[in-house]
Amino acid sequence: MALQLFKIADVTVGSPVTDVTFSSIPSGYTDLKLVVSARTNGTGTPAIGFYFNGSNANWTGRGLEGSGSTAYSFSSTSSNTFTLNTTSQTANTFASGEFYVPNYTSSNNKSVSVDGVMENNATAAYASILAQLWSSTAAVTSITIVPSSGSFATNTTATLYGVL
Amino acid sequence: MAIRSLKTGQFSRSALVGNPVIMPGSYESIATVTVGSGGAASIEFTSIPSTYSHLQIRGIARGTKSSTVAFLNMKLNSDTGTNYAYHILQGDGASAVGSAVANDTFMDWARYPAASATASIFGASVIDILDYGNTNKFKTVRYLGNYDANGSGYLEFRSGLWRSTSAISTITFSWDSGDFAQYSTFALYGVN
Repeated sequence: MALQLFKIADVTVGSPVTDVTFSSIPSGYTDLKLVVSARTNGTGTPAIGFYFNGSNANWTGRGLEGSGSTAYSFSSTSSNTFTLNTTSQTANTFASGEFYVPNYTSSNNKSVSVDGVMENNATAAYASILAQLWSSTAAVTSITIVPSSGSFATNTTATLYGVL
Repeated sequence: MAIRSLKTGQFSRSALVGNPVIMPGSYESIATVTVGSGGAASIEFTSIPSTYSHLQIRGIARGTKSSTVAFLNMKLNSDTGTNYAYHILQGDGASAVGSAVANDTFMDWARYPAASATASIFGASVIDILDYGNTNKFKTVRYLGNYDANGSGYLEFRSGLWRSTSAISTITFSWDSGDFAQYSTFALYGVN
């Protein structure tokens, strides 16, 4: 049977917000998929944090990243994932990314596949592929995304899908 | 009783009493192009509806360029200006590199097998364009593509930027040189 994708909810930021949360996620799907087009009004090279059930703890990860001039691999002990655009980069440009959460209601620890890109009409930009782990056996009932610096800018969008 | 979709031709269960309610999916085929025996200089999707939230393109391709590899290019709305940038994370089986190009006239999606590569090998790709109709945003594209030629090959994770707030209505693929070989196929999907 072909993969089926169903929109659960979407959010368009009308004025800057510190985070976006999808709560009361139905348990009837096999997997979850979240796509995000986001920019922050922060500074530096902020990442987008992604966590479940309001818990920003017990997250670890492995990443492969290109910076526009080099490539490297890294590990982390946080829920931060790919890099977001800020006011320091090309105007009107938003990072694009996807979070895929298999078996989100299982009683095992939760693995998340992430890929995201921050674009810029210059050399410096970041393309990231990550494997994230939430060491918790709780079923996922909410997802929160949050920039590590600043707030999500106006016109940031996030769409959550259920996958059957 | 089964119901046949007028859009897709597929049969589904009915929503009559006692049967499950049919929920419309969020992932719909818009168009698919498969190159015929004569090859094709380009593959183009035109008149893309503005009714979806996001677009995804899935494809396989091979070039006719007289080389082991050809470079796939993508333009949006037929814009030939220097309004594109792209960034590269690439692995070739031995090492990984990162690089970037700004102010180009296309997005470069890099290497696919071409005429001198082992026969019948095609590169595969998935391309995501979020908020393609949002006129407040420049368009950021995510690209994942790869091929293995039994001894050589590349894995590419790339991003592209089109510095325009116009809604995307046309997507055009072409090569740095040569044509699309027969059986190259790109499918465009709309995601609600």
